[in-house]
Amino acid sequence: MDNIKETVLEVIYSILPITIVITVLQFTIIGLPIETFIQFLIGVLMVGVGLILFLLGVNVGLLPVGEMIGSALSKTNKLWLIIFFGFLLGIVVTVAEPDVRVLSTQVDQVSGGAIPKSILILAVALGVGTFVALAMIRIIFNFSIVYILAIGYGIIFLLAAFTPASYVPISFDSGGVTTGPLTVPFILALGLGVATVLRGKSASSDSFGLVALASIGPILSVLILGVIYG
Amino acid sequence: MSIQIFEGFGAIILEVAIALLPLFILFLFFQFIFLKLPAKKLKDIGVGFLLTFLGLSFFLQGVHIGFLPIGELMGQSLGTISYKWILLPIGFILGFFAIYAEPAVSVLIHQVEKVSGGYIPQKILLYTLSIGVGISIALSMVRIIYGFSLWYFILPGYIIALIMVKYSSKTFTSIAFDSGGVATGPMTATFLLALFVGIASVTEGRDPLLDGFGMVALVALAPILSVLTLGILYSRKEKGQDARNKAGTKINSHDR
Repeated sequence: MDNIKETVLEVIYSILPITIVITVLQFTIIGLPIETFIQFLIGVLMVGVGLILFLLGVNVGLLPVGEMIGSALSKTNKLWLIIFFGFLLGIVVTVAEPDVRVLSTQVDQVSGGAIPKSILILAVALGVGTFVALAMIRIIFNFSIVYILAIGYGIIFLLAAFTPASYVPISFDSGGVTTGPLTVPFILALGLGVATVLRGKSASSDSFGLVALASIGPILSVLILGVIYG
Repeated sequence: MSIQIFEGFGAIILEVAIALLPLFILFLFFQFIFLKLPAKKLKDIGVGFLLTFLGLSFFLQGVHIGFLPIGELMGQSLGTISYKWILLPIGFILGFFAIYAEPAVSVLIHQVEKVSGGYIPQKILLYTLSIGVGISIALSMVRIIYGFSLWYFILPGYIIALIMVKYSSKTFTSIAFDSGGVATGPMTATFLLALFVGIASVTEGRDPLLDGFGMVALVALAPILSVLTLGILYSRKEKGQDARNKAGTKINSHDR
């Protein structure tokens, strides 16, 4: 029960401030038709209920799965299995990530279908998958995250020179939205599972950096998408 | 315009089902090969998947009928306003409060307080982050009004971040880059993005695709820079304390 109450409060805290600012704007300087505003309020309610159910579902069902898969994988002691399934998990989690869907819907609309939703989601998912795999390699061989970050951002700035300008903002935004309410806890759980089995108790600090890597992946993959597709 | 609540809901339900299917299949695969969980556990996980499915459907539908249209309409009406400067304070307020209340942020600030042994109190980091993201969104407004390229913000931002990494401890580096994600919650991607696309679509000479997007990127940069700055302050204090301790022992041995 505590869990439910906490989740409800969490969702209210994250939706309320923006809703208040929108309401204030509506009645001071903007003034959209009242139907639009009422529809918005109903939308807020649905978003709230939806997020609560979603987070509860993630906590009850999906996170334990992430952890169990993480530790089951490491117990096999086969490097290629850990890396391969890290890649696969990164993909399937990103495909289900709410923020990624919202962003790609908007990109699809604004670009008038020139950058289709499904292709963008696929590119982002491949990017996350690759970098989750890379993060697993990092946990196994224990090299510094600073190198990956420096090399990663270096390649990003290089690639950006060859990509159509309109892909650049979208790629960075994709990097931001991947780290949403499903991906973050899921890959953290996975990383923790792997690190705990491989190294015992000192695991916690190793799984830091997973999220950082997961957000570089989509920037790169969407830039590459731009080079190929644009 | 009439009120439409369940318009397109069928399509969204189908979309969510397809989105969750790969994860479900992967789980089943693991269940049969490695996990072999008992029925009771399976039931919990089944309920979890069902809740996730329902939640995601409602969330996306709510975004579809609520946040996206109002974001875009508000953006269009803000974009045509004659006193453009007002976009800056509005952006700052939106960013500040979105972060101030964001649950993911409270996890982060707690973590940082623990890692720094209480030297960086939660309140300080919370205000640093909120102000940082507020500034990011205000800057994004500037970007859209004057049509600056995203590069003028991103390139220096990340170069500064990578330089700061040199002076910050490894733990803080990891936390900083991880925290880039905390600010970009579902609200940023839904309402704020739509708002910016709306503003860009009515501002003359702006391409919504080129100028409307990119805001999330700036929002993700703010926490990285904030946490790294506090990390450097912290490592200075650590060094300062070492020096003082040494000095202290010297003084002790000579004078007292």
